[in-house]
Amino acid sequence: MNLKKTLLLCAAALAFPLSVQAQDVLTLYTSQPNKDAQMTVDAFEAANPDIKVEWVRDGTTKLMTKLRAELSSGVVKPDVLLIADSVTMESMVSDGYLYPYLSPNRDQYEDSLYSAEGYYYGTKLITTGIVRHKKAPQHPTDWSDLIKPEYKNQVAMPSPLYSGAALIHLATLTDDKTLGWNYYQQLHDNQAMAQGGNGGVLKAVASGTKPYGMIVDFLAIREAEKGSPIEFIFPKTGVSMVTEPVAIMKDSNNKAAAKRFVDFLLSKEGQSLVLKQGYLPARSDIGVPKGFPKRENIHLMPFNAAKTLRDSEANKARFSKIFEG
Amino acid sequence: MTPSLLKRRFMDGASVDGQLRWLSIGLFILIAILSVLPSLRLLLEALSHMTFSASSPMVEVLRSERTWTALRNSFYTSGLGTLIAVVLGCGFGFVVTLTNIRGRAIWVFCFMLPMMIPPQVTALSWLQLFGPASPILNTLGIEPALGSPQPMYSAEGIALLLGIQSAPLVFLALRTQLIALPQDLLEAAQLSRASQLRVWVDIILPLCRSAIIAGAALAFVSSLGNFGIPAMLGIPAGYIVLPTLIYQQMAGFGNEMLSQVAGLSMIIALLVLAGMLLQQWLQQRSRYALLGHTAQSLSFRLKQWRLPLEMLLALVLCFILVAPLCALIVSSLVPALGMPLNADTITFAAFYEMIGRQGVTARAFENSAFLAFFSALVLMLVSLPLGYLLMRLPMRSRAVIASLIEVPYAIPGIVLAIAFILLFAKPLPFIEVSLYGTLGIIFLAYLSCFLSVCLKPVLSAMSQLDPALEEAAQLAGARPIQRLIDIILPLTAPAFFAGGLLVFLIAINELTVSALLWSAGNETLGVLIFNLDESGDSVLASAIAVLVVLLVAGLMSLLSLFAPRLPRGVIPWHD
Repeated sequence: MNLKKTLLLCAAALAFPLSVQAQDVLTLYTSQPNKDAQMTVDAFEAANPDIKVEWVRDGTTKLMTKLRAELSSGVVKPDVLLIADSVTMESMVSDGYLYPYLSPNRDQYEDSLYSAEGYYYGTKLITTGIVRHKKAPQHPTDWSDLIKPEYKNQVAMPSPLYSGAALIHLATLTDDKTLGWNYYQQLHDNQAMAQGGNGGVLKAVASGTKPYGMIVDFLAIREAEKGSPIEFIFPKTGVSMVTEPVAIMKDSNNKAAAKRFVDFLLSKEGQSLVLKQGYLPARSDIGVPKGFPKRENIHLMPFNAAKTLRDSEANKARFSKIFEG
Repeated sequence: MTPSLLKRRFMDGASVDGQLRWLSIGLFILIAILSVLPSLRLLLEALSHMTFSASSPMVEVLRSERTWTALRNSFYTSGLGTLIAVVLGCGFGFVVTLTNIRGRAIWVFCFMLPMMIPPQVTALSWLQLFGPASPILNTLGIEPALGSPQPMYSAEGIALLLGIQSAPLVFLALRTQLIALPQDLLEAAQLSRASQLRVWVDIILPLCRSAIIAGAALAFVSSLGNFGIPAMLGIPAGYIVLPTLIYQQMAGFGNEMLSQVAGLSMIIALLVLAGMLLQQWLQQRSRYALLGHTAQSLSFRLKQWRLPLEMLLALVLCFILVAPLCALIVSSLVPALGMPLNADTITFAAFYEMIGRQGVTARAFENSAFLAFFSALVLMLVSLPLGYLLMRLPMRSRAVIASLIEVPYAIPGIVLAIAFILLFAKPLPFIEVSLYGTLGIIFLAYLSCFLSVCLKPVLSAMSQLDPALEEAAQLAGARPIQRLIDIILPLTAPAFFAGGLLVFLIAINELTVSALLWSAGNETLGVLIFNLDESGDSVLASAIAVLVVLLVAGLMSLLSLFAPRLPRGVIPWHD
C-alpha cells in the first residue's frame, strides 16, 4: 500500500506548483509559430508588467481538439485564444464558449475583420498563395498552373485536415466558379502532395523535395528574406485569407487581464509588432512588411465565414475522400 | 526433486506468507491503476454508443477499408522493421560482446545513440540527407534533381528507420544475456573438441534464443506504436499505418471520432496481446537456468578477421548514425532552410534564439529530465517486487498479467493520452487535486507506458535464476522481502538498471504521449521539437535536436565514467 500512497503524494506534489499561482497569470492558447508567440508575449508583458502570460502553441485543429476535450470534461485552461481562423471562432461562438467584449480600439478596423458583437477580432491578414523553389524550371502565375502536366508530382500543399488556414483556402477555392471542387480533384490527379500543415510545405519546397507549393504568405516571404532559396507568388485570380482572430473565453477567471491582452493586440503598438514579425497587419494604416507588394495590389478572393463553418465537416470529408481514398 | 515439485513447494510456502500477500495486493492495485484502468476506459469508449444498428462506431471501424489498409501497412512496416532491427541488433550484439574487437565501449556507445534521438528528428535528418537540398550530397555533386521522388517517402523507408530506431532494443536484450554466458560451458565444449559451429548451434544460440525473441517482440511492439517516423515519411506519401490513421482522425475530425479511435486502438491492443502470448509461449520453450554473472564471459579470437569486421561496423555506423547526425548539425547552422552551409552562411542564431530568448527551452529540458528520471526510478523500484511475484505465479496467470502490462506500451501514445485525459480530467476523489494540466498526468502516463520496458529485462533475468538459491534462503528462515533484497536484487541488478536506464533514455525524448497531455509550462523536449518543426521552424527544431543529442551523449559518457565502480552489466555499453 505504501507504493500507492507514495505515488499519490508524488502526484500531489507535482500538481502543487500550479495550484498556488499568482492571480495575474493569463493563459493563452495560440497557433502562432513559437518564435512569434514568444515575441507577442514578451511585448505584452513589457507593456503590462503586472501580468504574466503562459502560452500553449499547437496547430489550430489540434489545439481545438485539446480544448474541446478539456471543455467536455469541465476544465477551462485558457483565458484567451489567438488562433488561425474566424471559422473556428464562429463555431466557438455558436457553442457559447466565447465572451463578447467591445474593444475601444475596434473603430480602427474594417467591419469584416471582427464580429459585430465583439466575440473575436482579426489581428492580421494571412493569405495563401504559391511558393516556388528558385531553381525550379516553371514560373507559376495562377492557381490553374499547378494542375498542368509539367507540375505532375511536383506540388506540395497543406492539408485542410490539419490546418485551419488550409480549410479556409479550400472553401475559398471550391466556391470559385472557375476552380471549384474539380480543381482539387485535378490537383490529386496531378499527384499533389497534401502534407500536414504549412510548415510541411515550407520544408518540402525549401529542401527541393517538391519545387512548388501552396503556402501562407509570411512563412515563405520571411524565409526568403533570411536567404532561403524560395519565392512567394500572389496568384492572378487572388489569394484566400485568414485573419488570426483573438477572443476571450466565457469561463475565463481573469477577464480584466484578458481584455487588456485584446486591446494590446489591436493597438497601434500591437499592430506594429505584427508588422515586425513579417505579417500583414489588420489595421490598414500601418504599412506592409518587407517583401510584400503594396496593399492595394493584393487581391483577396471572396469568403463567407458562416457558410464555411456550415460546410466545414462536409468539406473535410470530401477532401479526405479525394486525397486519401 | 523435479522442478515442478520444487515449484509447487514454493507456491505453498508463498500462500501462507503474510508479507508476500500484502506485497501482492499493493502491486496488483498498482497494475490496475497503471494498466487496466486506461485500457478499460478506452474499451468503454470504444463500446459506447454500441447498438445493434449498422452505424455503431466499432462496426464502422471494422467496415472501413482504411482500417484494413492501415492494419496491413502496420504489419508490413513493423515486420520489416523488426527484421532489420534483429539483423542489426544481433550482428552488433554478437560481434561486440563475444569477440576481442577493439574499442568495444565506443562501438556500443555509438550503436545505442540512434535510439536516443527522437524519431521525428531521425526522419527529418534522413530526409535532409537524401533530398535534393542535401548538404552532403550537394558537396559531393551527386544530389538528385529538384522534385525527384524522395526514396525515404515509402513503406521501405519507414521500415528502415523503424529498424534502426529499435535495433538497440534487440541489442540490449541480447547483450544482457550474452554477458551472463558462462565461460565454463565453452571450455567444456572445447575440451570435448566441439567445432566453432557446434558451439554456436548447441550452446550460444539456444541460450540467447529467449533474449532475441524478447528483443524482437519489443522492437515489433515499439514499431507498431511508433508515430513520429510514419507521420513524417508516410503521411506525405499517402501511406497510412494505424497510429497515423488515429492521429489523422483525431486531428482532422475532432472528438466525435473518439469512440472510433478507441475502437481502432483496441484492435492494436488485441494484436499486441496475441503477439505477447506467442512470445511467452516461445520463450517458455527455451528457458535455461544460469547462475547470475560469471567472472568471465565468452570471448572469441578474431585473428585476421578483426580489421575487416571493424571496418564493416564502422561503415554501418556511418550510415545509420554519423551521416544523419551531420545533416542535422548542418541544418541547425544555416540561417534558413534549404541554404547551403559555407563560411558566409554559418550562423549560431538558432542556438542563440532557443537558448537565449525562448524560456521554453530551459523549461522543456527541466521537465523532460525530471519526468524521465523519476519514471525510471519509480519503475525500477516497482519492477523488483513485481518481477519477483510474477515469476512465482502459475504460468498462465503470469502470461495474462504480463500481457496486461504490455498493453499501455503497445497502444499508440496518442490514444493512451486520450485515455488519461478521460480518466484524470476531473479532480481526483478524496484528495481533490486535479492532475490534468500538470506534469503529474504525464508522469502517470509514462509509468503506465514504460512499465513493460523496465520489467522485461528484469523478468528475463529472473527467469534465468536457479530457484535453488532462494530455496536455500527460505529454508534458512529468510522472509520474502529479505530474500528479495539479499538474493534476488544482487543477482538481477544489471537487468534492473538496464531497464531503468532504457526508460530514462526513451522518456527523455518521448513525444506521442506528451503531445496531447502537455500544457502551458509543462512542455517536454519531444513536444518542443515536433511543434517547432511543424510550424516550419526546422532550423530551430534542428538546433534543439542537436542539444538533445549532446545531452544524451553527455549523460551516457558520464555513466561510462562511473562504470568501473558499478556492478558488471549495469551500464549496457560497458563491460
